[in-house]
Order: sequence, then structure tokens, then C-alpha cells
Amino acid sequence: MRRGSILQLLGLGILFGGAATAVAVLIPWLPPVASKQRDRIDFVFWFTTGICIAVFALVAAVIAYSLIKFRVRPDDDSDGPPIHGHTGVEIVWTAVPAILVTAISIVSSIALVKNDDAGKDPLNVTVIARQFAWTFAYPDQGDLTSAQLRLPLDRTVKLHLHALDVIHSFWVPEFGQKQDALPGQDTSLVITPTKVGTYPVICTELCGFGHALMRTSAIVMKPAAFQAWVHEQRNAANGPPGQAGQAVFASNGCASCHTLKAANATGTAGPDLDKLPAYAKQAGKPLEDFVRESIVDPNAYVQPGFPKNLMPSFSTLPKAQLDALVTYLVDSSKGGGK
Amino acid sequence: MTTAVAEHVPIGAPRTPKTVGDYFLKAGWIRAAWMTCLFWGFGLSLVLIFRAWAGWEPLFSWPVITVVATLTAAPIGFLAGIGAFDYWARYAIGAPTVPEDHSTHGGRTWQDYFRPNTDHKVIGVQYLVTTIFFFVAGGMMAMLFRAELARPGMQFVDNQTFNGLVSVHAALMIFLFVIPAFAGLGNYVIPLMIGAPDMAFPRLNALSYWLLPIAGSMMLLSFLVPGGAFATGWTSYAPLATDQPLGQVFFNMGVQWAGASSIMTALNFLVTIITMRAPGMTFWRMPLLVWANFTTSLLVVIATPFIAGSQFFVMFDRIMHTNFFDAAEGGYVLGYQHIFWFYSHPAVYIMMLPGFGIASEVISTMARKPIFGYRLMALSLMAILVLGFSVWAHHMFVAGVAPWLRIPMMVTSMIIAVPTGIKVFSWLATIWEGRLHFNTPMLFALGFVSMFVIGGLSGIYLAAVPIDIHVSDTYFVVAHIHYVLFGGSLFTIFAGIYYWFPKMTGRMFNERLGKLHFWMTFVGFNVTFFPMHWLGTQGMPRRVSDYDPRFGDWNMLISISSFFLGASIIVFLYNMIVSWARGPAAGPNPWRSRTLEWQVSSPPPYFNFDELPQVVGTPYEYGVPDARHAVFNGDRTTQLEEVQS
Repeated sequence: MRRGSILQLLGLGILFGGAATAVAVLIPWLPPVASKQRDRIDFVFWFTTGICIAVFALVAAVIAYSLIKFRVRPDDDSDGPPIHGHTGVEIVWTAVPAILVTAISIVSSIALVKNDDAGKDPLNVTVIARQFAWTFAYPDQGDLTSAQLRLPLDRTVKLHLHALDVIHSFWVPEFGQKQDALPGQDTSLVITPTKVGTYPVICTELCGFGHALMRTSAIVMKPAAFQAWVHEQRNAANGPPGQAGQAVFASNGCASCHTLKAANATGTAGPDLDKLPAYAKQAGKPLEDFVRESIVDPNAYVQPGFPKNLMPSFSTLPKAQLDALVTYLVDSSKGGGK
Repeated sequence: MTTAVAEHVPIGAPRTPKTVGDYFLKAGWIRAAWMTCLFWGFGLSLVLIFRAWAGWEPLFSWPVITVVATLTAAPIGFLAGIGAFDYWARYAIGAPTVPEDHSTHGGRTWQDYFRPNTDHKVIGVQYLVTTIFFFVAGGMMAMLFRAELARPGMQFVDNQTFNGLVSVHAALMIFLFVIPAFAGLGNYVIPLMIGAPDMAFPRLNALSYWLLPIAGSMMLLSFLVPGGAFATGWTSYAPLATDQPLGQVFFNMGVQWAGASSIMTALNFLVTIITMRAPGMTFWRMPLLVWANFTTSLLVVIATPFIAGSQFFVMFDRIMHTNFFDAAEGGYVLGYQHIFWFYSHPAVYIMMLPGFGIASEVISTMARKPIFGYRLMALSLMAILVLGFSVWAHHMFVAGVAPWLRIPMMVTSMIIAVPTGIKVFSWLATIWEGRLHFNTPMLFALGFVSMFVIGGLSGIYLAAVPIDIHVSDTYFVVAHIHYVLFGGSLFTIFAGIYYWFPKMTGRMFNERLGKLHFWMTFVGFNVTFFPMHWLGTQGMPRRVSDYDPRFGDWNMLISISSFFLGASIIVFLYNMIVSWARGPAAGPNPWRSRTLEWQVSSPPPYFNFDELPQVVGTPYEYGVPDARHAVFNGDRTTQLEEVQS
């Protein structure tokens, strides 16, 4: 190879490498960072990107150079030089990629091990996934439950995930961490939030027709605010039935599928709960019995126009919560909840 | 053993005289129609008899009847009716058979393409035309759900239909397009490339084709059943798949038919390549496409039974009350994914290695240079084959697999980049200092190399566990698989179709339309799929009908671009159809290639070689003075004459 062609190739390589670097740097590829784990993920991401830009620049430069220099007219019927191979070059392009991927593997492994480490005293949160709602329970805070994931700032939290029906997957892009929730097998995930804010919780495993709607929020709060919230929730759960029922409604994710004016719920995947008295009449049952049955055994009567087997059974609710919820729904739908 | 009947039925032998009864009894579409109905009735009776005997309620259980009668018995009736089993059936019942019956061989009229045909060249064309039909159908589904995704919120279809469109799109593209399109190209080219008169098992070859329309029809017809098409993605994870509407079994069974077709073809390729090479065609003299299909066929025969198993288990859970994947009854939910990916990871190489072979053929010929590092190219295929079986759990990094499994599976996944890199660098070294002809096949081949590099690099991101945890199940993955399967597999399929079009039809396609097709595809593809990387890293999950409104503008751009990409197919189809009918004669070897298929007429004789080739060297000796790949020995009796004497 002549020196001139090496320089031209180098020039093309810098051109393509520069363009790829510009695309990598100027476009905000990753969402804002809100956890320690995301910092490590981002480091691996940019480490890998650096290597990939170099490989891409090399390949693109060679193709572009060949396109310009080696093209011939269609009627040219000469052949190229009969080069069959070159052992040295072949060793280089076997060894160099092997070294590069080994480097990425080592960096990834370190990041992974650190991201899996929950430390000595994590806050435990149980994540219950069902079609098509999330429930978060705080076993160390008196089994308090919530439909939003509320986390104190800078405290490592260990999520214990499980699913009640099919496979779901928990993801908060700003935290970077993701984990499937399985029926019959517990999984876990470690997150250390580093920024106060509200972030989307997204189900990323296709879980049925309501999959796209299976979202809620993760709210990172200052530790004092988190404590205040815990306190308030525990009082509400022990308060009058209406308030307790509303808490059960909110913490079990009913709002993601159902409409109920009293709770500002606007879900449309399931029947409109403001019309419960009318449904009870169609089913031919007293309102209170009908509501209770529909929560514990949803398939006993399915309102026409909605699919069977869609709503999961909530027969696992503690009796006090169930009673509170039934009272709340009966009162709200009759207009008593206003 | 049949008695050796010294009787030859030559190609194009007149059929038996046509009486009225003959119309109903001879192999063909009329017999297929009534035998499909008859076998459906058999299936129905079987279910009813057993259910009545066992006293199960209800007697008419449609999930069971659908599986047994509609999806199993009726297709067997169709195959029997169309004549796919005739020879074996006669053999089995002891009726006289004619070992040298060539009446079903060769494509002389258009009718020859609509019946089981034992000519690998006819079968290759049948495969390609059928798979392009399913490709267009799958593409239209993609445009339908892209229309839905153009704006956030719901506009055209409901959620279940959306999930159905996404699932059927992927299932058609994978099982009815990419895999069988490569099988079709291989079917046409491999016997020619190794100097064989046909495949080793021509009747099995005919049968393997006729399984495809069955599998494809099942996937398409699933839209018509109550509850709609299967809507669980092409991965069809249990336990979701066990409690979905009836359409799900159309996927479970459709995959069985497509998989059986793949296995039969792969066995045929293996036996053909091992036993039917021309004299002098050693393994180290085989063209790389033959190497690639040899490797792919090994993958198919080893891996495909696993997906068959996974789908059978799901079906058993649905209709036989087994509990393979029901955690409440002691089932193992992750078991499905392990079995499924043990096939479906090797399947991505099943969908890529034949493309590597096509790229090698096209690049070497159009660059007028020998393949750089031929032996390392072949060995890296074998390395990918072996490593391909050790990486399946990289699809399950967030699925809840044992934590210790993740780092080893990451390392093996990373190592696959090495043989893949060898192939890319060798192609680049092949074009280096070549005499490059940028015609349509070469544009698609080099388009493949550049797009596949991007897909390969995003694969490195996905192999790195921490990054994968962030982007798994997002649009980043959608972008990656389309760079690999569209930018990779589909570009090489187009390269292969354009490259062998003159051989198959004897006519040349329109070069300007071919180039237009390439540039429309190249631009449309990148504008459609590149922004998906960003959507994924930013937070848009895959397989959702509705999404965060802040992604609206990019989704609109992607949707518009996908329609443009769809329009490029019109150019392709127009070019193919018009050129097939009226294109200029191409001559035997328009690309001045050295492999054997170009040393015979276009299209080739019924038994490929009028003279048996004697292979004397490697196939890529461009620029080597006086080098020959094969010599034709005029003294040898021709295959065709032997048959017709």
C-alpha cells in the first residue's frame, strides 16, 4: 500500500469516526440518571460505544474507500489481483476483537456484581405484578401497600418481585434496572435512588391485551417526606371504612382498569364501577353481594362486552381490607362516596 | 424392497387417460379438496369417539377439535390429496412402484409449479415465490401496526388486535420468510454448485415445500377465529400463551409444520452435500454458500426439535390439562424460555449463515477476486455453529435465570463476535484492490455488510449484561433484530434473488429498477429502524400499542418511513414479474462467475449437467492465470441420456 492511500483511508476513518462520535455525543441517548446503578450501566454503555465507534469507522472507511477507488466500468472484464489470504492479517483480526470483547466483558462483570449488591441494610419492598397493575408492599413498614413505588432518597432498596398470573417485567428507565416478575418464583432487583422526582414504571414483558397500559410511577422522596408518607398511610388504613376502602382501591391498582369518579379513576379496560348498581341488577344479585363476589371470583358474572378471565381474583385480600373495599365501592357507586 | 422394475417414465410422460373418476382420484387440487374435508371429518370423529367413550363434557370441545381435526388431520389430508405421499403410499401397500418415474420432474409448464415436483429447481422457485407472498403479507401487517403507532393513544385497532398483528408479522417473517427463503435459494443452487443432478431425496424435498403453505395459512387464518390471532409475540411465552384465546394454537401448530419442513430440507441438504458432490469436489473446494448451508442444516436438525417441544408443551397445557408451565401446579415457568431459546438463539444463525454464504459468492464474483482467507471463512462458520448453542440465556438476562449463569453466557455471546468479525473483515479484504462492479446484487451484498456491522455492534451492547438489563424488551432490541434480520438476512436474500435471477429464469432483470429498489430499501430501512435505538434507550418498551406522548414525533417519522420501505417492494415485484416475462436473455454466465451453476445453461437442463463436471480446483480463482474450478469430460454419458435410454 502506498503512503497516499493510507492517508486517504485514515482521513475517511476520521470522517466516519467523527460523524459517529457526533451522533453519539450530540443526541441525548440515555434518559436522566436517578440511581447509582444507572451510573455504572452508563459507564459500560459509553465504554462499549467508544470501541464500537472505532470498529464502525474502520469498516465504513474501507467500504467507502473501495467504493471510490476500486470501482470499474460495467464493461471492464479484467480480474483483481489473486490474493488468497494473509496469515498475519488474519491473526490480527482474530486477536484484536477477542481482546476488545474481553475488555467489555470484564467491565460489564464488575458493573453487574456491584449492581447486584444490596449492601447490609436495604429497604425491602415487595413488588406484586398482575394483569395489568402493580402493587408495592412495604413489609418493614407494617405491610403498608401502595399503587406507586415510593422510595426514600439515597437508601438502597431491594425489590422482591413476583407475579400472580403471567410474566411481567419491572423497569424504570431512569433507574436503568429491570427484572421480570414470575409466577411461582421470586426474583429480586437492587436500586439506590439518587435524585428526587417522579419516574415511569413500565411493564416490558408482553402480558396480555392491557400490556401497554400497565404503567405506574416511581416517586423518589427525601427521607423525611418518605417517613411522613408512611405515617399518613398507616393512619389512613386504620381510619374510617370509607378512607380505608379508598386506600385499598388505590393500593391494589384498581384504577388502572376501572373508572370510579370518587377515586378519580379513569381506566377503561374493565367495567365502569360507577355503574355497579346497574350491573348488579343485570346479574340479579343484591349490590353488596355482587360487589364482593366480583372481587373474589370475577368470572362468576362477567359484564357483557368485557372478556372473561381478564380480571384476576383478589381473594387473597385480608378480610378487613376486603370489607372496607366493598363498603367503599357500594357507597361510591350509589353516590355516597361524594 | 420393491422389485427392480426396469422401467423408466421419462420427464413429461403423458398422464393416464382422463376419465370422470380420474379427475377425482388423480393427485391434484380436486383430490386435495375432498381429502382435506375427509381427513377433517376423521379428526372430528376421533375426538368425538374418545370424548363420548370417556364421558367428557362438553362433547364438542372446540379447542380440541381445532387442534386435532383442523390443524393436524386436515393438513395431512391436503398433502395426501395433492399427491405428496403417493409414491410412499404405493410402496407401503405393496403396489408396483416405478423407481425411475420422472413424470413429476421438471418445470415445463406453469402447472408444474402447482403440484409436488421432484425437481430441486422447481422446488426452489416454489419456495421463493411462496415465501415472498408471506413476506408481503407480513410487511402489510407491519404497516398496519405502524399506522397505529404513528400517534400515541389508540386510533385504528384495539390492543388485542395490535398484539396479534405484531405476533403474526414476526412469526410470518421468521418461519415463513427468512428461514424458508434461504432454504429455497439453497434448494435451487446447492445441487448445481456441487455438481449433482438433484437433491438426495427429491420426494422428501417436494413434501418439505408443501408443508410451508400449510404453516403459513395457519398463521394467517388465525385472525378469523373467535378471540383473534395469537397475540403473545413470536416468542409466545408461557404461561401467557396457555390462557390466551383459541388463536394461540394456530401458532403452536403452525410452528410444527414449518419446523418439520425445515428439518426435512436440512436433512436433505446434509445428505446431498455429503454424498452427492461431483468427482473432485472436496470439502475444501466447496463454494462458501455450500459450507454455509451445511452448517445451517446442522443447526436446524439439532435445534429445531426444541422449539417443537416447547410448542407441544404449551399445547398440552392448553388442551390436555398438563402443567408444564403452571407454577401453581408445580410447573416451571422459566422452563419454557430455556427450551424455546435453545432453538431460537441458534435460529438467528439459521437465519444468517446462508446469508453469509450468499454474500461471499456475490462479493467474490463482483470484486473479481478470490475470497480472502477461504478456509478461515469456512472454519468461522463452524465456530459460530458450536458457540451458537452456548449462548441461549443471553435472551434471559432479566428473566430470573440463576445469577451465576449470566456472566458465562455473556462471555460466550461476546466470543461469537470474533468469528463474525473474521467474516466481515475477510469480505472487506476481498473487495480491497478488486475490480468492483456495483450492480444490484453487489449493492445488496455490500449494503448487507455495512448494515450487519451496525446490527453486530448493537449485539455487543446486548451481550453486555448491565446494558442489556437497561435495554432488554425495548425498542433497542427491535432495532437490533431488524438490523440483523432485515439489514442482514433480507439484504442477502435480495442479493441472492438478483444474483441467481438470470440463472433461474434465463432472463436479466432491469438494472435501473434494481438499483432504485436498493436505494429505496437502504434509505427507508435506516430511517425506519435507526431511531428505534434511541426510543429503546430512552424508555419505550417493545410490543406496546400505546406509548409516552413524548415519543410521538419519532414514531410518526418511523411510520412514514416504513410506508416508504413498503413501497420499495412494489418496485422489486414489478421488476421481477416484468423481467421474468419479458426480460432480455441473460445467457449462461452473465456475471462471469466460476462456480458450477454458471457453467450450465440458464435455466439449467432438467438434470442440471449434461456432462458430469470434474472439479479440479477451488471456486474463486479470479485473476489466477489458467486456473479452473472444473472441467467437463465430454466422454462421460450424460445423466439425462441414462434416464431416457
